[in-house]
Amino acid sequence: MPKLAGKLAKIALPVLALGGLYLLAIHKHEQREDIRNASVELTPGCTAKLSRYGLVPGKEYESPYVLQRTGTHIALRGYSDEDVRAIQRGCNIVDDTQGRLAQDPDLERWNAKRFIRGSHANCHHCHRDLGDKQDAAGNRMKGTLHLGASWVMADMYDRFTGLLLPYELRQMQCYINASNGYKPNIADDVIRDVTAYTRFLSAALDMRIGNHYEEQGIDEIAASATLKQGDDYIRGEALFKQKCQHCHGRQAIGQEVNGHLVAPALAGPNAWNMQSRNNFYFVSTVLAGFICRNMPPGQENTLSNQECRDIGYYISNLPRPAGDRQGPLVALQQQLLMTVMPPLLRLTESSKTPGQPPLENGE
Amino acid sequence: MKALALALKSHALLWRQWPKIYGHLAVGLTLALVTLPQAVAFSVTLAGVPPHFGIYAAIWGVLFCAMLNPSPVFHGGPNTAMSAAIGVILLPTAPPFGAEYMGLALTLGLMAGLIQLLFYLIRPLGRMLDLISEPVINGMICGIGLFLIFRSLTTFGGLPLNTEVEWPLWIAWHSFLAILEIGNLHAVEIGLITLATCVIVQQFDRLRNWAILFGIAAGTLYSQYLSATLGLQNTLVEQIGNLSSIHVISPSLPLFNQDALPDVVAIVPGAVTLALLGLFQTVAAMRRMSRKAGEFTDSRKAIFSDAVSNCLLPFLSSLPTCASFNRMWLVHKLGIHSRITIASSAVLLLLLVLFLANVIAIIPMPAMAAVIMLLGANMLNWEDIKPHLQNRREAVVFMASFLSVLFLDLFSAVLVGSILAIAYSKWEQVNPNISLRGNVLKIRGNIYYGSLPVIESIYHDAIDRVDDLIIDFSECYYIDPEGIRWLAAAKAGQTAAFVDRRSEQHRRAVEPAGTTTRRGDESLRKNQRRRRPDRRRRSDF
Repeated sequence: MPKLAGKLAKIALPVLALGGLYLLAIHKHEQREDIRNASVELTPGCTAKLSRYGLVPGKEYESPYVLQRTGTHIALRGYSDEDVRAIQRGCNIVDDTQGRLAQDPDLERWNAKRFIRGSHANCHHCHRDLGDKQDAAGNRMKGTLHLGASWVMADMYDRFTGLLLPYELRQMQCYINASNGYKPNIADDVIRDVTAYTRFLSAALDMRIGNHYEEQGIDEIAASATLKQGDDYIRGEALFKQKCQHCHGRQAIGQEVNGHLVAPALAGPNAWNMQSRNNFYFVSTVLAGFICRNMPPGQENTLSNQECRDIGYYISNLPRPAGDRQGPLVALQQQLLMTVMPPLLRLTESSKTPGQPPLENGE
Repeated sequence: MKALALALKSHALLWRQWPKIYGHLAVGLTLALVTLPQAVAFSVTLAGVPPHFGIYAAIWGVLFCAMLNPSPVFHGGPNTAMSAAIGVILLPTAPPFGAEYMGLALTLGLMAGLIQLLFYLIRPLGRMLDLISEPVINGMICGIGLFLIFRSLTTFGGLPLNTEVEWPLWIAWHSFLAILEIGNLHAVEIGLITLATCVIVQQFDRLRNWAILFGIAAGTLYSQYLSATLGLQNTLVEQIGNLSSIHVISPSLPLFNQDALPDVVAIVPGAVTLALLGLFQTVAAMRRMSRKAGEFTDSRKAIFSDAVSNCLLPFLSSLPTCASFNRMWLVHKLGIHSRITIASSAVLLLLLVLFLANVIAIIPMPAMAAVIMLLGANMLNWEDIKPHLQNRREAVVFMASFLSVLFLDLFSAVLVGSILAIAYSKWEQVNPNISLRGNVLKIRGNIYYGSLPVIESIYHDAIDRVDDLIIDFSECYYIDPEGIRWLAAAKAGQTAAFVDRRSEQHRRAVEPAGTTTRRGDESLRKNQRRRRPDRRRRSDF
């Protein structure tokens, strides 16, 4: 009899545990379904962007932008209510990945924060103006990491590994390296909604699938595009202190004032990791290109190619997290450097720094 | 008439042998069915080659090993760590699933085989592999068990695999959350039904060997029911799929031409890693499992069988082979240790993919994942873990190799565990047990360069206190040249006399005054041994 009871217990316990997990899964699925069906509260940036492109549910969609620029009527298949909600959620994630503007960040942003280490990283830090940067006249700009241009090249061969990267995997790389985080599953809503938003952008701007547009990626700056003086850490440091430190803080660890992010970290625990292509040592041309075209805000395109490379070189010399493939020893070393270096550097830094002092000094 | 009698007799013989044959077949079929999903999963998701590479490894790799390796518990075939290593090594050379990539994968396997052959031909190299201790192996087994469970989570939930390298524990946690939130509930149901069926059937002694088959059957039936009622396009449950391209033999040639030479040279270090990864697992798994089954097989024979198999397999479109912990565990659990059974599993798998490809094609992947998870759970055996936790040193070694599998990788687990185990045994040797009783300095252990500083410090302490010091090294079992030189110097300095009972020296002559011992008194000697002074008491003097 005790033998039978033992056997029954051996059957009942795992079956009950599995059943409990199944019930939990059903509950979580229902929760997700509720969010999918709920109306979306847009961030201010998304409200402006999406209303400008006339996103409303309907049988046909016609982009006001295309009409205004070309004068031709191009009617595309319209969006259902469900599609519109997905696009809106996607835009919200690009604008506010960390959920700082949401009432319940976990629910409203599909836990996007779960896949990010640190509290600074946000899609629109690199994909400027919600992945759709335009000049005052409404012209799209070269090498601005445009998300619509990115979608029309959906599955592309990786330049470095030669692997065919599906669009979802390209997004995952952002999570892994640019935000130094973890990859969401390909089937996750967080990926699907951002994809929906980028598809909408390409439709709104009449970008055609399979075409390569100049706005895609970064306007990279190779060493050959300079006077070939060589990249210089010292020059970079001086330039950083003069041009960047005011917002990005000392040693580029970012700056938050009263819970508001003034500028994201470019080094330290909240920054991208060593295997991100923003890392000068991994790919030297990307960060320099980004700096030249986008920084400092309001004075874009004022830095020379060499200056951008110098700043990129300096930033990449500062300690940052190790990449996920670099193993625990490198990770430990970087962790140690990130902990020890900022106070040490602060001690050795001269008190007189050129340019304005950083905001943290009481401004 | 005679022929009829003979035929009847042989028929009767066959009938009498039937339970045994039936048992062999059941185990063979179970092994074949367990190997199949692993073969498909390892080749596609880990190695980046089409599924037939893994299936041929599960057929020919297993068959070659069963023929060449005399161990009755050895099960070769595709292996997680080796497949993953192939993917990682070839990643920078060519895009996966392409012709060049597949050719390089075969070249990599061949090079690994040739390197393994070197390990067989150079005997000391092969002996190095024996330095992996049991706690290391058991730590690895438990780590791999958990790893298999984690690895199968996404397939279990009907989700796409997360294929990029990342910390496995985080992947597992995020995969678990993903299953709860976005998993395909039909897939989860199929997986749960398979698991529950296996758990229930396992409790019946007579059906235990068939548990996995019952599980897969139940999962497949439920999946078919779902497809019939909802349609496969709505359930979106992944199935094994079409295997009709598989023939008995599919000859292939490793890529080796002038064009590919730079790539071939670039992957040589990878080939060394792959060869070592295979041999370490083979030697470790075979030793562990043979011991469990009360058998013994020389590890050189296993090295030979692995090396030769891996030299042949690249010509048969196959991934390299090495021992599989989880399948050998299954062989052990099923209780039939026989090379015939293992060979039959390969033949049965070949027959299955040749003739029942259509039936296999509908087996749902979540059911396969559930089976792999169950295998992983079975590898976490408390009975095997418990003895290691009772000894502090073993516990440290065990935990180190267990955690290394989860935090680093399999190869690092072997290295970390082995280095710790060797360090512990070396530590034991550099601290010999030395006691000073009266004027006798007794040294138990080794006198060699490592232990000499300890011996010297006590020796010099002793000659300051005692005038006629006698060094008794009758219980030393190893003295290296440095030790001999030191002893010679001590002797030359005439500060101490030596006694070594092995050279028939008179014991009473060296006993300290006042002790009464009778020569040859066995019981007394035993008592003395029991009262062996503790090493910590050295400082009492």
